[in-house]
Amino acid sequence: MELIAKVEAEALAAIESATTTAELREHELAFLGKNGSISGLMREIGKLPNEEKPKFGAAVNEAKAKVQAAWDAKSASLKNAERAVQFEQERIDVTMPARHRSGGRKHIMQITMDRIKDVFTSMGFVYEESPEVDLFSYNFGALNYPDDHPAMDEQDTYYITDDLLLRTQGTTLQGHVFETVKPPLRRFTIARTFRNEAVDRTHSHTFHQVDVFMIDKNVTMAHLKGTLRTFARAMFGDEVEVRFRPDFFPFVEPGVDYAISSPKLFDGKWVELGGAGLIHPNILENYGIDPDEYSGFAFGLGVERIPMMAYGVDDLRLFTENDFRFLEMFS
Amino acid sequence: MKFTESMLRDYVETSMTAEEIGNLLTMTGFELEEITEVNGEKVLDVNIMANRGDGASVIGMAREVLAKDESAKPTDLYLRAMNGFPLSDMDSRDIWAKASVAIETENCTRFSARVFEGISNGTSPDWMQDRLTKLGQRPISLLVDLTNYVMLETGQPMHAYDLDTVAGDRLVARQAKAGEKLRTLDGQDHDLNPDQMMIADGDRVVGAGGIMGGEETEVSATTTRCLLEAAHFVNTSVRKTRKEMGLQTEASYRFERHVDPEGTVGALNRFAELLADAGGPNAVHGVIDIYPAKAERNEVTVRMDRACRLLGMEISMREAQAYLTRLGFEILSSDDNALTVAAPTWRIDVIREEDVIEEIGRVHGYEKIPEINPEGTTGRGGVHGIYRMVDDAVSSLVRDGFVQSFSHTLGDAHPLDAPGMERTILRNPHSPEMAHLRNSHLPNLSATVLKNGQDNVHTFEVGKLHKSGTEWHGLGIISCGNFESESWRETDKSKADFFTLKGVVESLGERLNRSITLAPSDSDERFHPTRQATLLSGRQVVGVIGQIHPSVAEATSLPEHAVIAEINLNDLFGAEATGDTFTSLSRNPAVRRDIAFVIDKSVAYSKIEDSIRASSAEVLEKMWLFDVYDGKGIPEGQHSLAIALQFRKHGNFTDEEANQVRDQIVAGLESLGAKLR
Repeated sequence: MELIAKVEAEALAAIESATTTAELREHELAFLGKNGSISGLMREIGKLPNEEKPKFGAAVNEAKAKVQAAWDAKSASLKNAERAVQFEQERIDVTMPARHRSGGRKHIMQITMDRIKDVFTSMGFVYEESPEVDLFSYNFGALNYPDDHPAMDEQDTYYITDDLLLRTQGTTLQGHVFETVKPPLRRFTIARTFRNEAVDRTHSHTFHQVDVFMIDKNVTMAHLKGTLRTFARAMFGDEVEVRFRPDFFPFVEPGVDYAISSPKLFDGKWVELGGAGLIHPNILENYGIDPDEYSGFAFGLGVERIPMMAYGVDDLRLFTENDFRFLEMFS
Repeated sequence: MKFTESMLRDYVETSMTAEEIGNLLTMTGFELEEITEVNGEKVLDVNIMANRGDGASVIGMAREVLAKDESAKPTDLYLRAMNGFPLSDMDSRDIWAKASVAIETENCTRFSARVFEGISNGTSPDWMQDRLTKLGQRPISLLVDLTNYVMLETGQPMHAYDLDTVAGDRLVARQAKAGEKLRTLDGQDHDLNPDQMMIADGDRVVGAGGIMGGEETEVSATTTRCLLEAAHFVNTSVRKTRKEMGLQTEASYRFERHVDPEGTVGALNRFAELLADAGGPNAVHGVIDIYPAKAERNEVTVRMDRACRLLGMEISMREAQAYLTRLGFEILSSDDNALTVAAPTWRIDVIREEDVIEEIGRVHGYEKIPEINPEGTTGRGGVHGIYRMVDDAVSSLVRDGFVQSFSHTLGDAHPLDAPGMERTILRNPHSPEMAHLRNSHLPNLSATVLKNGQDNVHTFEVGKLHKSGTEWHGLGIISCGNFESESWRETDKSKADFFTLKGVVESLGERLNRSITLAPSDSDERFHPTRQATLLSGRQVVGVIGQIHPSVAEATSLPEHAVIAEINLNDLFGAEATGDTFTSLSRNPAVRRDIAFVIDKSVAYSKIEDSIRASSAEVLEKMWLFDVYDGKGIPEGQHSLAIALQFRKHGNFTDEEANQVRDQIVAGLESLGAKLR
């Protein structure tokens, strides 16, 4: 029994004096391990008379538990101390600059076009495209432009041949669709369009138009206004209101120019967005659609105007210059 | 079109301010451009719609105000204008002794004239000069100012001839004869052709009718006898001739947009009365008026139920009739629903029922139209097919760290243009550098690289590309330099090269459900001749990939390590789709075996891969090349490759089984000439 007390005292003293976890692990081997001195005490048991064996065994176990407890406590305290040192050494300045993978980014025009597509596809419109280089007839004749009319002057046109031109408006999709699809139909496109103009802050020879149209029974100016409001609110917020004023486009009758305003935007002024109206009955008839049975609306607007208005972008050229400083402003 | 506030108030009595009038006109379709204050008076400038020539007159503007503002009243002057400014001398034939007029072409439908004698062509009255000056016009002389002023009021262009210079005192509207010439009063000489309608006297052409008069018969300070022409010309003829002559005038502007053929005599009368008011002589009694076929009014029947349905708002028959009457339409008949009207001769744009519906709607007010979302049948909306693929390609490239560019279609020829294509070229470019339609995105993408630091840029563009006769959705990619920006931390030093871009292209194929494979090639001169490949989807060529040719790099200032790729998305879309397929997963662990061997460099790695796959059947889950070495100890022309093989199957792999598979693979590679190290 004295032996037990001696080994226990030795072990406790050694554990107490340990200053590192490495040292402590050595003590664990020396006292508590398989060949450690406390485990060695158990081997002494064989030398004892049978009646003393249980008592001795219990005493050894008790000592072992005590030493183990002391070891555990010391281990925890040393670990904490060492971690504290480690953490101090590993301190970082979290305000230092971040690392960025070269991140992919959509162009602001793509972001805008994606948003437009979301609105109209959710209203049951199918996205479609027609050629950038198109026949004169799709750009003008099919859209009810009278031959050689001043309305064409408003669209200075790039020609490739007498018959082929760079489309001046996204509405050219109409003829392509009406040739192949019977109403009811809902279509929209986002079209790159071209006019022979010099480039400056507010003009370009190239811009993009959203063009939207539907034909069904009983389509009215009210549906046109409702669709425009839904669209304008999706783009510019829930308080946007839509205003129509009469205007002339050969492919609609009645024809209107539509403007939007919002108490929080555009200084509370009406800002004109584009042209709209009911699809001209001449066009419906040209494609074998009875204007007494069906009616339709159509409207268009410039895509670039949306970010220009929403973010106050003040120079149209920025949209095609691909300056990453500009592109990184939008995500 | 510009007019002063007082000119409008001569014709309409309204309590509205100039600003309110401007707003009213905007809401009738004649958009107010601006109101400026000139010499203490407001000047309104409004936009005239291309089909509304009647708006290019003060009377037309007054009519819109009267239609829209119920409290506005027409002035006596307006009522007289509606009657053609009647004068008492109109039945007299005195004038025929002084001059004569004839029409010999379909392009002139009415030719009216008056004659004035004993004129002193000094200055116009102060009030008239004042008004013209406010509109930015320079007063010239009494006769010229009067024609301009009456045109502003009535919309009828007129021309004053010095009758003493008119041969035979006779004017004829006719087509020009080949070889005839005209010097217009701006001093320009024009060679005429028989497609052009002209005014001639007994000897020669004296003016381009509806466009500009001639210098030789122009009124001057010494003019004492004047023939005043007010005619009606066909709009397409005027437009064609003035374009050929390179002229655009206030007169041609109006004729192109339509002038009321009924208005000629009224304008002559207004001129005569203003000339007399200014102290000038009275007109020689009588009016010459050659008017072979009186203009007909379009008669249109509108169904009110249809009008209300299309407009989406309720308007009563009584309201509709009032609106149309105020606009100058005549109500011919009406019942419960149908209303038949005659459109005034100044409104030839009103032809169909819908045109009348627009008139009713715009006077009633579009602000009363409610907002309703579309109803009725709809199919599946969405972005489908090739258009979906284009959008998905954008997403794929963005996921791989590329910035999307968005550039012009028009540009100049460029070393990075796609070779061997007949280009689409504009006939009338704004400048020669903007004549070509792009056939590749690479020229614009190179500009993106140069704009953003000349290196360490990874960018792409999608959009239409063109060659003669066709266009397609193209994808272009340029990748150069580091993927991570320079940092204070030790960073990922890997740079873009052929194989990083190959990975981007393969990922693209996977996301678009198309196989994309590479076949070695050397034919595209934009690329490094031994570092380029054709991109295939199945057997369909869909694009090219490679490192830029050093000479092209030099010519474009791009870095020589830039790697580029181009894909025709329409071709890729047309290639066979690869579906996603499920195979049941083994829950057993994988085993790995590495092999290293020396082999001739001429053996393509794809051959090695094919051989390994062929030798390992279904148990090969994955393989990857993890070392390539051709230094010391490796024979010339050969290299050492180290490949990791990962096997897995349903059920456990024993070591022997794994070794057996490896041995089969090695045996296969040895037949390609590989020597195990």
